[in-house]
Amino acid sequence: MSNIQQFHYDNRISRAFGMASFIWGVVGMLVGLILALQLVFPSLNFSENGFQYLTFGRLRPLHTNAVIFAFVGNGIFMGVYYSLQRLLKTRMWSDKLSWIHFWSWQVVILCAAYTLPMGFTTSSEYAELIWPIDLLITLVWVVFGINMFATILTRRENHLYVAIWFYIATWVTVAVLHIVRSFELPVTLTQSYPLFSGVQDALVQWWYGHNAVAFFLTTPYLGMMYYFLPKAANRPVYSYKLSIIHFWALIFIYIWAGPHHLLYSSMPDWVQSLGTVFSIMLIAPSWGGMLNGLLTLRGAWDRVREDPVLKFMVVAVTAYGMATFEGPMLSIKFFNAISHFTDWTIAHVHVGALGWNGFLTFGALYWMWPRIYRTELYSRQLANVHFWLGTLGIVFYAVPMYWAGWTQAMMWKEFTPEGTLAWGNFLDTVLQIKPMYAIRALGGTLFFVGVLLGVYNLFKTAQQGSFLADETAEAPARERLPAKTPANEYWHRWIERRPMQMLLWSTILIAIGGIVQIIPMVFIESQVPKISTVQPYTPLELTGRDIYIREGCVGCHSQMIRPFRDETVRYGEYSKSGEYIYDRPFLWGSKRTGPDLWREGGRNPDLWHYNHMMDPTTTSPRSIMPPYPHLAEQELDLSSLPDKITALRKLGTPYTRDFEKYAVANAREQAKTIALHLADQGVKDEGLENKEIVAIIAYLQRLGTDIKVQPTVSE
Amino acid sequence: MKSKKYTLVLPLVMLAVSGWSQAVQAAATTAEPAAQQLSDIMTIILTVAGSALFIVAMIYVVKVNQFLYKKVLQLEAQKSGAVIPEEVPAVEAAAGDDFWTRMRKQYWEDAVPIEREEEITFHHAYDGIRELDNRLPPWWVNLFFLTVVWAFGYMYYYHWGGDGLSSTERYNLEVETAKKELAVALAGRANAVDESNVTALTDGSSLGEGELIFKNTCAACHGQQGEGGIGPNFADEYWLHGGGIKNIFKTIKYGVPDKGMISWQAQLKPTDMQKVASYILTLQGTNPPNQKAPQGEIWKEDEGAAQDSTSTAPETLPAEVPADTQ
Repeated sequence: MSNIQQFHYDNRISRAFGMASFIWGVVGMLVGLILALQLVFPSLNFSENGFQYLTFGRLRPLHTNAVIFAFVGNGIFMGVYYSLQRLLKTRMWSDKLSWIHFWSWQVVILCAAYTLPMGFTTSSEYAELIWPIDLLITLVWVVFGINMFATILTRRENHLYVAIWFYIATWVTVAVLHIVRSFELPVTLTQSYPLFSGVQDALVQWWYGHNAVAFFLTTPYLGMMYYFLPKAANRPVYSYKLSIIHFWALIFIYIWAGPHHLLYSSMPDWVQSLGTVFSIMLIAPSWGGMLNGLLTLRGAWDRVREDPVLKFMVVAVTAYGMATFEGPMLSIKFFNAISHFTDWTIAHVHVGALGWNGFLTFGALYWMWPRIYRTELYSRQLANVHFWLGTLGIVFYAVPMYWAGWTQAMMWKEFTPEGTLAWGNFLDTVLQIKPMYAIRALGGTLFFVGVLLGVYNLFKTAQQGSFLADETAEAPARERLPAKTPANEYWHRWIERRPMQMLLWSTILIAIGGIVQIIPMVFIESQVPKISTVQPYTPLELTGRDIYIREGCVGCHSQMIRPFRDETVRYGEYSKSGEYIYDRPFLWGSKRTGPDLWREGGRNPDLWHYNHMMDPTTTSPRSIMPPYPHLAEQELDLSSLPDKITALRKLGTPYTRDFEKYAVANAREQAKTIALHLADQGVKDEGLENKEIVAIIAYLQRLGTDIKVQPTVSE
Repeated sequence: MKSKKYTLVLPLVMLAVSGWSQAVQAAATTAEPAAQQLSDIMTIILTVAGSALFIVAMIYVVKVNQFLYKKVLQLEAQKSGAVIPEEVPAVEAAAGDDFWTRMRKQYWEDAVPIEREEEITFHHAYDGIRELDNRLPPWWVNLFFLTVVWAFGYMYYYHWGGDGLSSTERYNLEVETAKKELAVALAGRANAVDESNVTALTDGSSLGEGELIFKNTCAACHGQQGEGGIGPNFADEYWLHGGGIKNIFKTIKYGVPDKGMISWQAQLKPTDMQKVASYILTLQGTNPPNQKAPQGEIWKEDEGAAQDSTSTAPETLPAEVPADTQ
């Protein structure tokens, strides 16, 4: 104990990430609010005069990315950089790396804020960012990893506290997810095609998407909970044993649950069932975190009544418990048949995002800010107002969305006694829930106002205090323990002394689920039965498909007809996995604000599509879809078409040899046919065959038609 | 602590029990269709009985496990000569709790009371955060085991031998069932409207409903006043697929997919198609603005003998309209 060392914690970096978190939080939530209002007032898409950058389709990924990677992402780094130093009794290993991490992450966010409204997107949910940004993210993550592990290796504590187990698992899993999801072949600077197609792409996507929730929104925040909650409550963590069991169980089981996003899809049944059972087995490990959080407050509940920090944390942990119970329930086929593609899903994720991530971030910020500014919180009362506005906001958000989801699902499925759909016009089911969308927007507004008050409160707190950039601390240098395990020691202590073993075992555990599910799907051909009449897209259809992706149509329109009577009556034959083998990326979607489009081909005439794109209300009165007149103004860009054909052939699409040389001519020809057809029917626009509209019509008219083609019998 | 290997016994026993209860359920559900109801009741009884047995077995296993665990600790202590600290109980022996509170604290929560917390606090603190050595809440452990058992049962039922239907089988069953039910439901309506017997309605309320349907579903392509647009003009006397109530009804019902007219029979009831077809007939000669050029051939109402349907008593038809459309 003689060699006490003095060192300084770096508060600047935690403050920077904290500020970034709430600034981006405000931006991300504002975009969310705009989206909510667009569903009630479609004119807020501002697209009727050809302004294309603020439509729902383009803004939706901006909202999800801003909230997940900018608000929560910066929140994670704030929490990690603050707690890691203190739990290890050392400063971050390299200030330089800390700041490279900080600024490059903000650059990633700014790139996202620019590219997504521009329509540069891969369309894979939560992985929309284009490949150059993917590379930058990889770099940031490596920098973060080096800094974190170097700090861990130069620590003054012998053992790693539970929060750090979660940080380690987070780091490795996000790295694996991000890399595998980014297997893509670049075509241009802003476009790439994924390595996997159709069903396989869907499986990889939801393995990624689900575990982005698990390892970006959950595990790092559990780590933060394990630091900030006992600190704020000044109570010991309830059960060390519980920490151990629920940590290892959680990271092992979580990774398997992705296919629950694909129930009743064309995914083979065995994959779907694995998704279901692992989701159910996830209840207890998830609740382990909630229990350890709530039970830590034993003996401090009287303070919860008074301390806004604890209030935020209690609601956060409770919301976590509710969302992690609801999730498994939605993974049961019975509920999924109702909830999937409806606003129920939206309600579910927002209980998690607003309640768990939002409130834990606010709790941690309110706790941390006065400490780094060496002062009291500016206004406890204001924080209480924030708390109540936020809580009411969540209620006013979630309840109408549950109502809307349930209502719409019931309307979709209702038949008349004569055997026809009771609500044959999809739009009727949308208009029915419009009032719910309005109430949801009110809930969002309440939450948003609360956040603004919070930002003001933190700003005033900073103003009245003086910032402590380098916080002095003392601790003895680390004495290496003898290699032999001391008698009577907890078995788990062994691995807590060995961060690299921790990393290794976490990696092994999180790899198993993905391997078992993805490898057979990719390498065993019988998993996706071939359909002889399914052909690759024509060059024009491919171009149209890329426009469909650019406009974010997948945000509201699914391309996956589930095997239910109401869906096959409404849309046509249910989807088969073999139909999607040339779909790169897959576009099944996860929400139906508009109808499914998989059998749209041939359903409506070209002119219908033309009118519908120019102004959806002409063909569907009171439709809430934004108009897309810019598609009839923008020139069809076929310059990268040969590269696209070549890239797709490399990935396995059987375009004939040298086809890329004829691709443009082929596209022009098909465009001319459609333009002539439109002109025949009375469209007077000049040079229609050179506009984007013909490409998207070509694509829409192709959708789901291949299985209707009679196979040519070759004797 | 080296107790973990003994806890392994637990899930194995659970699995055995689960396999048994699943087998029983499977046996119950394979009964003859005639005995379906009985088999449903049997399934419930067996499930309840199985669950009860399962809970008893679980308590027993927990007890055995605890016993073994203590024994091992004692043996190890004898070897090393160390003293095993006694476990801090969940409930104070002298506490005045009633039976149920005691049961809850002991078998549901199993938490060391706050007053004796010091005894289970690890001496090390991380940045001031201490940890307690509380036992796992028994209800939580059991919940975990139950979900694992459920998972194996689910996989058995759907994949390893049970009667669970695949997605495709379930869909086919759903469609078959609906078809049968529909056949029964429509059997009573011998005169269900179809293209062979449809007649034009002339009463105001039917035509009003027809107009409403027209505005909502047809006007997008055929114009608000039937003047035509994407689809042909209804105000002139030219028809592409034949005029007259029967042809119009048929075109609405089956559509003309090649020309972009979709089939409406999944969305509109036969009586609704009749109403809207009747309304369309009333548009003849209304001469709305912006009419689309004529398409098809002139259709004369008196051409076919069967066309003279307007004179046959339309009053009988509303009686067939199901109550829910009124």
